[in-house]
Amino acid sequence: MRANIEAAAPTSGAQSRLWASQLKANRSMVIGLGILAILLLGGSGLVTDFLAPANIRSMLLLAAFLGLASLGQTLCALLGGLDLSIAYVIGAANILLPKLINLGVPPPLAVAIVAIGGGLIGALNGLLSFRLQGQALIVTLGVGFAVLGGAQILTSLDSSFGGTVYGGVPAWLSNMAAINGKTFGMPFPPVILIWLVVTLVVVAIMKRTWFGRSLYALGGSRLAATRLMISEFRLWVAVFAVSGLMAAVTGMLLLGFSGGGFSGVGDPYLFTTVAAVVIGGTSLLGGWGGYGATVVGTLVLTVLTSILVGVGLSYAAQQAVFGLLIVPMVALYARSPPIRMQI
Amino acid sequence: MSRAYPAPRLSLGNLYYNGAVALLVVLLIVSAISGPHLFTMDGLAGAIIVLVPLMLAAMAITPIALVGRGSVDLAIGPLVGFLNVTAVQWLISSNVTSPIAVIAWVVCLGVAYELLQAAIIVYVRVSPIIVTLSGYLVLSGINLVIMPKPAGSVPDWMSDWGSGTTVWTPVLLILVAGFVVWFLLTRTAFYQHLRLTGADERMAYASGVRTDLVRLGAHAIGGLFAGLCALAYTGLISSGDPTQGSNYTLSAVTALVLGGTNIAGGRGGIVGSAIGAIDMYLITYVLSTFNFGIVSGFVTQLAFGAILVMALLSNIFLTGGKAAVR
Repeated sequence: MRANIEAAAPTSGAQSRLWASQLKANRSMVIGLGILAILLLGGSGLVTDFLAPANIRSMLLLAAFLGLASLGQTLCALLGGLDLSIAYVIGAANILLPKLINLGVPPPLAVAIVAIGGGLIGALNGLLSFRLQGQALIVTLGVGFAVLGGAQILTSLDSSFGGTVYGGVPAWLSNMAAINGKTFGMPFPPVILIWLVVTLVVVAIMKRTWFGRSLYALGGSRLAATRLMISEFRLWVAVFAVSGLMAAVTGMLLLGFSGGGFSGVGDPYLFTTVAAVVIGGTSLLGGWGGYGATVVGTLVLTVLTSILVGVGLSYAAQQAVFGLLIVPMVALYARSPPIRMQI
Repeated sequence: MSRAYPAPRLSLGNLYYNGAVALLVVLLIVSAISGPHLFTMDGLAGAIIVLVPLMLAAMAITPIALVGRGSVDLAIGPLVGFLNVTAVQWLISSNVTSPIAVIAWVVCLGVAYELLQAAIIVYVRVSPIIVTLSGYLVLSGINLVIMPKPAGSVPDWMSDWGSGTTVWTPVLLILVAGFVVWFLLTRTAFYQHLRLTGADERMAYASGVRTDLVRLGAHAIGGLFAGLCALAYTGLISSGDPTQGSNYTLSAVTALVLGGTNIAGGRGGIVGSAIGAIDMYLITYVLSTFNFGIVSGFVTQLAFGAILVMALLSNIFLTGGKAAVR
């Protein structure tokens, strides 16, 4: 196809490709925002008080957790990998933080320890999966298993409750992520504001910095990127480290939300982070999409969940609907070329 | 391509599952010391009942992994649950209990579902991992809609399968049937095409292999094994259960990787997956003979994760190079 374009207009080939790529990037955003608008309209028709401040606040809060957890997944997808350890790191952080605080570690220090631990686990994911990029999801799954298993062993050594930790949630953490939290006196929890700031920073980094641009370059073409002296190894490890860090942060925020440590708290994020990335329009083949798209995907998923809950669908049926959504969405954005085009 | 592929005809001489066999020997020795009960008739009978569904689940995803493009069938667990739930809820509850009807139902439905997945991968051209991921979500949802909580019973001919009193049960027969099917398959040209497609799809296509049909065929065989797995699983639990089946996804993938099958495609086979599944069972067994108290489940989880990663890393040294990125 590319060859055709260039044959037809050899002088403006590069320009028309750029234009086409911008159209493609914007198309996924436009479609995503369109779906979001339709869902909001549909929701307000189907569910009473759907657009009431209380419901919007709870939707934004849940979207913030999913959005923060999906940040790393987006970056991994841009390189053509997947991180399935996110769910388990969330669970591990969720029980390790209260355990540390219960042991007498000052809360800020405990938060720092868990966050750094998450980043290190992520870096380990990157190191182990670098030579196995096609199987990154299995490597990260294995690491995730081991991490959550280890965290559960550590937390239940001198307690009689396997997998749950009680107490040890500082008040400021509860305020930060609980539904009745206050931001500078305003009636929404600060985590929503944090998500907004993180989104702006990440989008700017992806657009403006060397790191962001080389990520796209590497995802687009390994060979071309290495020829430009972009270190595939460093980026791969850095991206997985960010993913681990964000998973740990999400796990700690979820502790503030729920008020008690529970190792299974991350389980829903195993596949919803992937769903948010995919529905937003980031290609899992690498090089296409971005965090802005994932934010839209996160909002679509959260609003859809809220509608499905509102009309009385069970969790099981919601899962089925999500699953049915994924294939058509991917078919819109990220179909691989037919085999005869790949030779 | 720098990788060398052994001739498929010599598959029994392949080295791909040597790691799994070595681990098996170690585990057998350890379990003989720490839990000799396993080697009594009772222990063996109980082990086989639990082991066969896991082995068949790992075998079911093997041809699908062999065909390449990183196609890990994440949907296998919920699919086994789906076959179990529909057979119990729709067939057996309405008094269709003849063995032929039940076996035909689970096998045909398994094949039909896998063909649907393959058709989406081949014709819609969505990457396999996405298709099976969405299959995982859809089927685990549907299972709970069909049967909200464990219920139902199995026909009389199946009711004593799960008792585990003798080694010579129909469950073992199902496993043998699975191996026979695979053995016959390895004698066909289709199997050569499957290996070639997995090793290098473009080369296979350029050599005139109908890679689309090969992919459909690989999934159909996977579906057949999934049906056999559902049969053994239904015998094991003697009822319908909408959620337990989903656990087979992670166990089957771990067993597959332990067995030396490369998820990037082309290398591996069901013998390795079956040995990998036995390894996993023995790991659980050995760990359960030590007294870890309330953390025993977590120790098992930690061990599975660590072994999965180590098995993958050892694959690098066996293939001696970087696995295909896409």
